[in-house]
Amino acid sequence: MAESGVQTIAHDEAKRRDFLKILAVATGGLGVAALAWPFIDALNPDRAAQGVAYKIVDVGGIAENTGITVIWGGLPIFIRKLTAKQTADNEFVVPDTLPDPATFRDRVKPGYESFAVLVGLNTGIPCEVLGNDPSDARGPYDGWLCPCDGSVYDPVGRVRGGPAKKNLAIPRFTFLNDTQIQFG
Amino acid sequence: MTRTETAKPWAESRLPFLGTWRRGLAAPVLSRDAPYLGTLPVLITATLVFMTLSGLVLWVYYQPWHAYGSISFIERDVNSGWLIHGFHATGTTMIFGAVFLALFRALLLGEYRAPGELVWFLSLGQLILLMLVGYLGYLMTGGAVAFWSLAQGSGAAMALTGFPGAIGAWIFGGADGAATLGRFAVFHVALALALFGILALFFAARRALAVPGVPRNAVGFHPYYTAQYFAAFVIYALIFAVLVFFLPQLGENPLNQAAGSPLLLPVGLAPPWYLLAVGAIAHVGPGALGAIVAVLAGFAVLFALPWLDRSTPAAPTGGLYRLLIVVLALDVVALSLAAAAAPSTLADVLTGLFTLYYFLHFLVLTPAVTAWRAG
Repeated sequence: MAESGVQTIAHDEAKRRDFLKILAVATGGLGVAALAWPFIDALNPDRAAQGVAYKIVDVGGIAENTGITVIWGGLPIFIRKLTAKQTADNEFVVPDTLPDPATFRDRVKPGYESFAVLVGLNTGIPCEVLGNDPSDARGPYDGWLCPCDGSVYDPVGRVRGGPAKKNLAIPRFTFLNDTQIQFG
Repeated sequence: MTRTETAKPWAESRLPFLGTWRRGLAAPVLSRDAPYLGTLPVLITATLVFMTLSGLVLWVYYQPWHAYGSISFIERDVNSGWLIHGFHATGTTMIFGAVFLALFRALLLGEYRAPGELVWFLSLGQLILLMLVGYLGYLMTGGAVAFWSLAQGSGAAMALTGFPGAIGAWIFGGADGAATLGRFAVFHVALALALFGILALFFAARRALAVPGVPRNAVGFHPYYTAQYFAAFVIYALIFAVLVFFLPQLGENPLNQAAGSPLLLPVGLAPPWYLLAVGAIAHVGPGALGAIVAVLAGFAVLFALPWLDRSTPAAPTGGLYRLLIVVLALDVVALSLAAAAAPSTLADVLTGLFTLYYFLHFLVLTPAVTAWRAG
């Protein structure tokens, strides 16, 4: 009887000590985590860098058949407003006939089909393509032309001819409203 | 069979050194009367690790060519940058506080006497390196006071000729502030890392002083001393937290908050609190070489202390010597306050007097009092 009583007390004390140990380690762990967070967070991009990463561009002022160049993510981004004819000519091209098959809908945002938003770099040899300005050489499809290797793209950036094999890249972006797009 | 006893062999059977560590930490070989202030060297090391971590984060954004602007950027734009900078600045105050307290304790208890001279020298080496690191870090802020301290220092070094001039030119790399701060950033990091080496030697030398054999009523390091270290750490961390969040600019010259400019000379160039005494002693020496000699002499008397102290182990020094050590500490505090005060004739006279007493303590009072006690 006495022996079992001693064991019960020892058992209770062990339980109490275990509880205190868990409590101390858990509190200490929380403290270390709270202390570590500023060190980790300080290496995250600051607000200014995030503002640049999620750039908002006003596209309302772009006249039809002209484009603007903005820099986002270290790349030249071309935003061009297409004419009704340019849209109509390319809307129903059968993708399988193209070197890099893609439908018209894949290349534009629904509801904003008149805007082509593209990374303005040729996919063959690295070179900035021409076509933002109506006076630029735009190639036979009235789209984009690479002045370096002569690759030809249609207005929504699908490759139609030349050494290049891939369509122009499309950056991540969304239309916030009729006049603003946000990258990132 | 408790849960822990059954759980341990799994890890220990696979990593046997864990068992060696556990038994070594729990082995009852330590006497149970180690004082709380004996934890200071470990707290100093922990602070140094913390300073290294916060320094690494600051290093990501610090630009010596735009020193003041980059620190403003860290304070304002970097996520939690104000906190990391506060950790680094307050860590300086904490580590100097701990080092000064440990040195005061070593003086009071006569720990510098044989066979503890090497531990004493390594503590002093630690103080000197730390002061160099602190001074370089203070110059790196690019504030108005730091800018002009650097301009005066580099100007004086450039004016030296011969061997001292060559050394000065090598350290400052010309009188141009920006090029100088770039190399100071490197020296700041390199010397801070060298501090870890000094601390390792310090711990090794201190361990060699331990009396061999197992004392009566011995205890194991764990849990007896882990609990003591934990309690000491909690108090230390609490003071640290209060200073970081409520007094982040404690002991700094407020004029240093302004940007350094060649057209704006602040009134007086009082350094941060931990350099005030050294700066005051440097100020007493005439000219650049005089300042260097005065500072070297100030440290030399500390290094010579094991020989200046004439006491014998048979007749240890008593209350009078301890009183003198307390007076010395007050003298150093008073010297710092005189140096921090706005420049005036009175401040200059007091600085001279307190410096005189500092040397008097080591060169006259210490040998006299200890020799008298030793009979």
